[in-house]
Amino acid sequence: MKHRRSSLVHILIFILAQTAWLSLLGIWIYWYVTNYIIFSSVDDHLSAQIVSEGRNVFVLVSGLILLIIVSVLMSLQFHRLNIQFNLAGLYDNFISNVTHELKSPLASIQLALETMHRYNLPESRQKEFIRMMLKDTERLNKLINAILEIPALEQKRIAHNFQVYPIGRLMHEIIGESREQFNVPDSAIHVEGDASCECVADRNALKIVIDNLMDNSIKYSSEAVQITVTMHCAHKCFVLDFQDKGIGISAQHQKKIFDKFYRIHDRSSPSVKGTGLGLYWSREIIKYHGGRISIHNRGRHHGTLFRIELPIYRAVKNRYIQNLLKVAQKRRLKETADDRL
Amino acid sequence: MTDYKKNRILLVEDEESLAVGLEFNLVQEGYDITRANDGKTALEWFQKQVFDLMILDVMLPFYNGFELIQIIREKYPQIPVLMLTARTGIKDRIKGLELGADDYMTKPFHLEELLLRVRGMLKRKQWYQDLPDVPLRFRFGENEVDFETLNCIAGKQKFRLTPHEAMVLKYLVRHKGKIVSRDELLEKVWNVSPEVETRTVDIFIARLRKYFEHNPGKPVYFISIRGAGYRFMGG
Repeated sequence: MKHRRSSLVHILIFILAQTAWLSLLGIWIYWYVTNYIIFSSVDDHLSAQIVSEGRNVFVLVSGLILLIIVSVLMSLQFHRLNIQFNLAGLYDNFISNVTHELKSPLASIQLALETMHRYNLPESRQKEFIRMMLKDTERLNKLINAILEIPALEQKRIAHNFQVYPIGRLMHEIIGESREQFNVPDSAIHVEGDASCECVADRNALKIVIDNLMDNSIKYSSEAVQITVTMHCAHKCFVLDFQDKGIGISAQHQKKIFDKFYRIHDRSSPSVKGTGLGLYWSREIIKYHGGRISIHNRGRHHGTLFRIELPIYRAVKNRYIQNLLKVAQKRRLKETADDRL
Repeated sequence: MTDYKKNRILLVEDEESLAVGLEFNLVQEGYDITRANDGKTALEWFQKQVFDLMILDVMLPFYNGFELIQIIREKYPQIPVLMLTARTGIKDRIKGLELGADDYMTKPFHLEELLLRVRGMLKRKQWYQDLPDVPLRFRFGENEVDFETLNCIAGKQKFRLTPHEAMVLKYLVRHKGKIVSRDELLEKVWNVSPEVETRTVDIFIARLRKYFEHNPGKPVYFISIRGAGYRFMGG
């Protein structure tokens, strides 16, 4: 509400400033035109002493250029402000979501501890409460790590250990690990296709991407999760389609779903957990690999399809990919040298 | 064990471990607990069963706590609602109370305090008997309140008070003409320590003014006494 009011004030100031400039311009033109008529109507000899036409035209033209510059600058300023206001609104959402994500497991842990302190619980109950507490500490740990890694991501340090991988095999491994981590039954994930091409990748960073997609599929499936992953090597890139049978994402949200802090608040959504960072991270990581991630419209209640495209090493071999490898190699050498010391 | 402990509580909480812990403790206290993991299931339970109290989380799937309390208050104005949430902002607290929550606790909370508040909310029948001087039907100005059914008439409008609104009003009526402090109301009506939150009382007084005052901005019946509390001037 406060932001909306502030942005209204800015809009008002902007309109007023523009009106003022345009009025000035109008007056200026009026002055010039009326003077020109008067000067023209008086004696040629006299007018030559009063007015120097060339100077007047210079004043008018330079004034107009200045005005245009001011208007353009103000428009730019307004545009920047607008972006900042939107970001501030999303940031508020992020803080609110993070507060929820931090305090909920903390409350569970406190409750479990107070319960164990209050009652003399049988061993089976005690084990159940301890198991729940460990699950909550794990959740807290993940969230804290995610928050701490934001600066690394912003400075493009999240993916650094680049190597050439047979990408199909690597993805099979990562999906398997992710499936185990999220306790998804083997039968719920079908991995199809064969991709024997090689890509330059950071294994840990790609794991973050697959974990985020898997986590979203679980959170936004009303029924038991069902995921199909298909992979193939196209002419210049490796393509991975990650498809679930969840509630899907409507067209209006698809454009913004990769934006930082963006979250969908929807009545049909079966989950409210999250920070609005997962898909933003995924996009940044894939971009850093020289690839792209996109969402394909299947509409609400028809599942979601995310497509990841990564450049094939031998097919592309461009300078950017070569540079990723070089930097990673230097880094590894430096780490080895440091270890020896 | 007292009678109020046999009450049925609907626990609406989507955090599995928190819900399990709360259910265990409330069952140990002798309450009958039904659990709902989201707003939709909570509404379904309301259609099937009558509850004596609801413990409600705010951030819930399908319908959030704020939406849910509005729907429930329209159909079941009598049920006491304790909001339990990770949102700590004063705006959220005020919003929850304005929409009809009777009490509000933020996560993480102390188990003892939660159990005390639940007990306090369920003890209202007992509490009513402690104030024998207040007539069952009470008139002030154009307003009429039935403290048994909680039905009210204010001018041409008919509505029903929530139990906590009725309790605040009844306490003020019982002490009409006298200054009642916020701390006193918190202790007597909410059964909580006055240090907890005096803002809750102000929101309830605002709710009563909205119902009964001709101009809530210039109250005639529910008068604020600066630095001291409130004085009821009706009847």
